[in-house]
Amino acid sequence: MTSRRTWLPNWLTSEHPLPWLFPVTSLLLVFGLYPVLYSLWLSFFKRNPATRIEKFEPSWNWSKLLADDRVWDAVQVTFTYAGIALFLQLALGMAIALLLDSDKRGFGVLRALMTLPLVVPPAVTGMMFLLMYDSSFGVISNSLYALNILSPENPILGTGSTALWGVIVADVWQWTPFMVLIMLAGLRALPREPFEAASIDGASSFQSFIFLTLPMMSKIIALAVLIRGIDLFRIYDYVKVMTDSGPGTATETLTAYAGTVYFKSANFPYASAVALATLLLVLVTSTIFIKLFKVRF
Amino acid sequence: MASVNIENLDKKYGALSVLHSLNLTVADGKFVVLLGPSGCGKSTLLRMIAGLESISAGEVQFDGVRVNEVHAKDRNIAMVFQNYALYAHMSVRKNMAFSMRLRKVDKKVINEKVEWAASILGLDSYLDRLPKELSGGQRQRVAMGRAIVRDPDVFLFDEPLSNLDAKLRVQMRTEIKELHQRLKTTTIYVTHDQIEAMTMADEVVIMRDGYIEQSGSPMMIYDNPNNLFVAQFIGSPGMNVLRCTVVEQDGRLLAQHEDQILALPADANVTAGQVIYYGIRPEHLEPVKLGEGEGAVGGAQAHIRVVEPTGPEIHLYASLAGQEICCISRTRTQWQPDEPIVVTPDLEHVHLFDVETENAITPNH
Repeated sequence: MTSRRTWLPNWLTSEHPLPWLFPVTSLLLVFGLYPVLYSLWLSFFKRNPATRIEKFEPSWNWSKLLADDRVWDAVQVTFTYAGIALFLQLALGMAIALLLDSDKRGFGVLRALMTLPLVVPPAVTGMMFLLMYDSSFGVISNSLYALNILSPENPILGTGSTALWGVIVADVWQWTPFMVLIMLAGLRALPREPFEAASIDGASSFQSFIFLTLPMMSKIIALAVLIRGIDLFRIYDYVKVMTDSGPGTATETLTAYAGTVYFKSANFPYASAVALATLLLVLVTSTIFIKLFKVRF
Repeated sequence: MASVNIENLDKKYGALSVLHSLNLTVADGKFVVLLGPSGCGKSTLLRMIAGLESISAGEVQFDGVRVNEVHAKDRNIAMVFQNYALYAHMSVRKNMAFSMRLRKVDKKVINEKVEWAASILGLDSYLDRLPKELSGGQRQRVAMGRAIVRDPDVFLFDEPLSNLDAKLRVQMRTEIKELHQRLKTTTIYVTHDQIEAMTMADEVVIMRDGYIEQSGSPMMIYDNPNNLFVAQFIGSPGMNVLRCTVVEQDGRLLAQHEDQILALPADANVTAGQVIYYGIRPEHLEPVKLGEGEGAVGGAQAHIRVVEPTGPEIHLYASLAGQEICCISRTRTQWQPDEPIVVTPDLEHVHLFDVETENAITPNH
């Protein structure tokens, strides 16, 4: 037993956690809550781009947002992007984790190697894939041309139908290891006996996976989906670096559109509204998910 | 149902050998208990029979057919694990139905079977609960239910009662034995608890360090231990063992431990000067207060240290020339600590062991 530190004032002991939480709470308030509230305030103004005069008109940006086709396109792109990337990362993450879940020699090294993509900055990953997709010297492009899957007339990132896939591949390459890490942590913590009992009960390894591994991992899978899902909704860097929302607006996600409105059109109030709409979308989607799958933190 | 044969079975983990050329036959319908201290290889042997551990050398046969290469799921065995190994996310009903569901048994048959097992095990009202909503004893019953719905050829139990409290353990012991008497399925049961082994088994197999020390019916082993290890492992309180030198007095051979003399059976196969272990079970060592009785022949003097009344009998822990011994009194004598007593061995039940090999010294006939 540790003795009570008598020199510590009573309100600083572990029974009173609030004082200890004060520093991080204040940081969150200053850099988290304040910008959100300020954006909300900002979104209530109508900005005249020519005169740069902002006028208080609360409904202007929000009704504009609802009528803006580009917003709805961006919502669709965001959902498509997040959905496909999440599915691929989940499936690959689980598959790789199952393969790496072993105590045999060398698997520790493999597990460590597998995390390497996580240390590459996303913008650099984007640049890397941009080079690999290059239609004249890119290794991926040239391989696909050689296999007659694609032709040089339709460069991957320059074609509307393939550009989003090009970005998704980069995202999957970078973030699958993260899924693998979470899945591995879960798999390695599973008890061994139920699986032995199942094999005696007559279960094949596939049946064990379906009837035992998946249900036993459900909480961890749900948590991983939530974390990655929220992250994927915020997708900005890959799109910015690789396609800059193009060709046209084929890869324009909500955050990318907000960025464009903010930095290119300098329409700060409307950009605020778009950004807040993204936040709202994430909140609603994740809350539904949490309720539906009973995720607990 | 099936008989199980183990032939020259070896288990090695790399260079480490844990089972050494074991041979064992479990006849059809028998209840065999593998007994031994932890680390003796009994669970490993069971898991090899189950198909959960690979076989380094030798053979496991069911009904004379080699099953070394047969996967656990195809051996038609059922196993009950020490920590139950229930499927935590499935209800009691689903836990028990799992094996049948995998074999695509008809739903009606599954329900009948599950309800039959539940009624035998008293789980009727718990079928829709999750394992975490059950007590330890109930979980153990679910694990057994999961095993019996299978109609397996062989039941394997891996220390199934060691996680239960003492009272429940005694109760489940009886239930498992009853279940075996009813189903008559070949059963191999692993435990480190010699009382469990004695009370349940048709045949006990005592193991140590990857070897089988002795096997036979519980009473046979109790009365005729092959060696010192078996003698001391079986029985509670354990057998008293005194290191003695055989001396000759007036033409009779006696065993001398320090300054105390104990009588030897007339047919003892020993010679004067030989050093032996003299083994006598507590219930065969009769205590009387010093000075009472007629100065029993072949008795040794000891001092009571602790008196433990158990109800039917009184256990006396005493010091005999510095050596701790235990003897049992079935009379209602008022024993006192520090009291000097004389203990007299029942010569019919004296066990002698060689000090070198620790093997039993068989008497002359």
